[in-house]
Amino acid sequence: MFKKNLMFLLALGLLFVLAACGSGEEGESTAEADESAESSSEESSGEAASGEAQTVTFWHSMGGAGQEALNGIVEDYNASQDAVQVNAEYQGSYDESLTKFNAVAGSDSAPTMIQTFEIGTMSMINSGQIKPIQDFIDADGYDMSSLEENIINYYKLDDTFYSMPFNSSTPVMYYNKDAFEAAGLDPEAPPETFEEVEEASRAITESNPEMKGFALQAYGWLWEQLLANQGALLLNNDNGRGDTATEIGWTEEEGKSIFNWVENMVNDGTFANYGTNGDNMMAGFLAEDVSMFVQSSASSRDVIDNAPFEVGIAYLPHPGEKEREGVVIGGASLWMIDGKPEAEQNAAWEFMKYLQTPQVQAEWHVGTGYFAINPEAYNEDVAVQAHEEMPQLQVTVDQLQETTSSYATQGALMDMLPEGRKVMETALEAVYNGGDVDEEYSNAVERYNQAIEQANQARGGE
Amino acid sequence: MSTMSPATKPYEDMQLAFEAERRKTKTRNFIKGILFLLPSIILFSVFLFYPMMKTVYLSFFLTDASGATTVFVGLQNYIQLFTSSIFLKSFKSTFLFVLYIVPATIIISLFLAVLANEKLKGVGIFRTIFSSTMGISVAAASVFWLYLFNPTMGLLNEILGFLGMEGIGWLTDPAWALVAVSITTIWMNIGFTFLILLGGLQSIDQSLYESANIDGAGYFYKLRRITVPMLSPTLFFVLTVTIINAFQTFGQIDILTQGGPQNETNLIVYSIYREAFVNYQFGAASAQAVILFILILLMTALQFKFGEKKVHYQ
Repeated sequence: MFKKNLMFLLALGLLFVLAACGSGEEGESTAEADESAESSSEESSGEAASGEAQTVTFWHSMGGAGQEALNGIVEDYNASQDAVQVNAEYQGSYDESLTKFNAVAGSDSAPTMIQTFEIGTMSMINSGQIKPIQDFIDADGYDMSSLEENIINYYKLDDTFYSMPFNSSTPVMYYNKDAFEAAGLDPEAPPETFEEVEEASRAITESNPEMKGFALQAYGWLWEQLLANQGALLLNNDNGRGDTATEIGWTEEEGKSIFNWVENMVNDGTFANYGTNGDNMMAGFLAEDVSMFVQSSASSRDVIDNAPFEVGIAYLPHPGEKEREGVVIGGASLWMIDGKPEAEQNAAWEFMKYLQTPQVQAEWHVGTGYFAINPEAYNEDVAVQAHEEMPQLQVTVDQLQETTSSYATQGALMDMLPEGRKVMETALEAVYNGGDVDEEYSNAVERYNQAIEQANQARGGE
Repeated sequence: MSTMSPATKPYEDMQLAFEAERRKTKTRNFIKGILFLLPSIILFSVFLFYPMMKTVYLSFFLTDASGATTVFVGLQNYIQLFTSSIFLKSFKSTFLFVLYIVPATIIISLFLAVLANEKLKGVGIFRTIFSSTMGISVAAASVFWLYLFNPTMGLLNEILGFLGMEGIGWLTDPAWALVAVSITTIWMNIGFTFLILLGGLQSIDQSLYESANIDGAGYFYKLRRITVPMLSPTLFFVLTVTIINAFQTFGQIDILTQGGPQNETNLIVYSIYREAFVNYQFGAASAQAVILFILILLMTALQFKFGEKKVHYQ
């Protein structure tokens, strides 16, 4: 009898445990839901507040000054009309955001629209989770030709816009005008070629041993830009635009020119090594540890505002024996996610169109240093005034507009580009730390080609 | 054969009945045991065994960006790993990292624990300070160290400069990066290790020390002959946990170096993350995960085989 009772108790106990587990899981899943979509609560409150406003969830990767500017734009938009309520959610860097998106794609937690960097273009298209913007352009009869030509060149593939360009920047060279003057260099004539940069670096270090001449973050994006600026392709088959790329597109001479340039400065002792950390590089520049560095124009507002000296902005350097070809559009575009209700998508489309208007673009350009993708924005009062106050902002615009349109400056398309960047970053770091140029270069090329090959194989293309 | 003595038959019957009863109890006990284990078996299967099988399965495939399998490649992922100089470097860095961290963490924590175990006035304050790193999240601690290591305004380089030495590229110099990450990790691990060791010290029977005192034993003799042997189960636990933690280090790498410079701090777990969530090569990432699993399993088994012999359980 006792035993039977015991068994009964046991079974009862088990039930409790299982029930507890069950509720535990439930707790987890609700917590998850809370986390992944803060919007859901905002959604309902938003709806309650403005009647029938259509909510749009917008994932972005703008931190710092960019986030402030973007939030301002979103708030203005929400206040300007009642039909659409946009919830902008910061999801970390482009890489992180893309990872999160891949995890929730196809579920209810997926956003309505997401901002993704330019090299994610091909993997977004291949993912099958997106709806090409072209569908909305056609349905709406929207005119995209008002946008900057170079931007259209990058984002238009086979006459189709898959995503809406939004924030675009190019790399520029920032330099310390005061330091240039102290070293007897002309602050109004910044170095243009690799050789001139080397020379200026030597002059700077000679006049002030505490200051290094030049810094280049080990950043794959800058590598791509330095290639494009000498007219070199990143991938074969016209940068992967003609057909899927099967190997690298640059020649040994083009690739090594960058490695040698850096090595010369490392040997001269004029190069400041900040590794892969862009923030440290900027901090070093602001603390007058280094006189020149190359970085995205998107930081220009930050740098100009925070520097205790006069900042100059110059074009991206190129090897002396080559003509300057120009730069590739960097930055990100906005993607419409497939599988969302039509009303929600249309609301997101309205917001995307709002972002292209000259006023918004002018505000965005001035607030961050990204370009206005709509050139009319430069005629807006905000932009005109800002350019008067900070003529440096104008340089970033000129550099893009002077860019020669070619496959090199249209930029490469392939889904393995993030991996390729890491390969080049590792190689550059090795050179910064005194590695052998020939060896590091050939290793990097081999790994780059391997990554391309593997990506093609994974797609089942072979 | 049928001439069974009537006397033994009842005995055999009894034996049989007894056997049957015993078997019945055995099955019942077994079922009971399983019932007790069921909750954890279910949880483990859902959250551990299934993902583990899935990882092994994925490691034989190439995948697309969403992780869906595309091409079966057999052992290719594994072969590529073992011929890749980058992975072999990860392997080496991981072992070096474990080697830097585990002994240093345990020795420093033990030292602090022995100090804090003395009955002094206000020792509670020190105990709180020594264990306080336990309350700091990996992210917060890493950011804190990131500033200490900062080449422009970092405190460490300022001190070096003050002493007339040249600043070190803590996180950019391949010779220093792994050391810098190790220092951070040791600092973070000390809190937890200290607390466990202090707990172990406090549970040692005081009468042992008393009788040693009567025998006139010195401080270090007592430390060597009483404290360390009596603490050995705790030390063994701490050793195992620290080693496993060191193998699984991720947060501080992601914040401090992102695996750089030149893949010097690209420990296996970080390399798995990069492979899967930056390069979207879930197959290769799974293969690395399987290798890491086997590695930790082997290490733990070795520890139990050789380390446990030296452990003195009361």
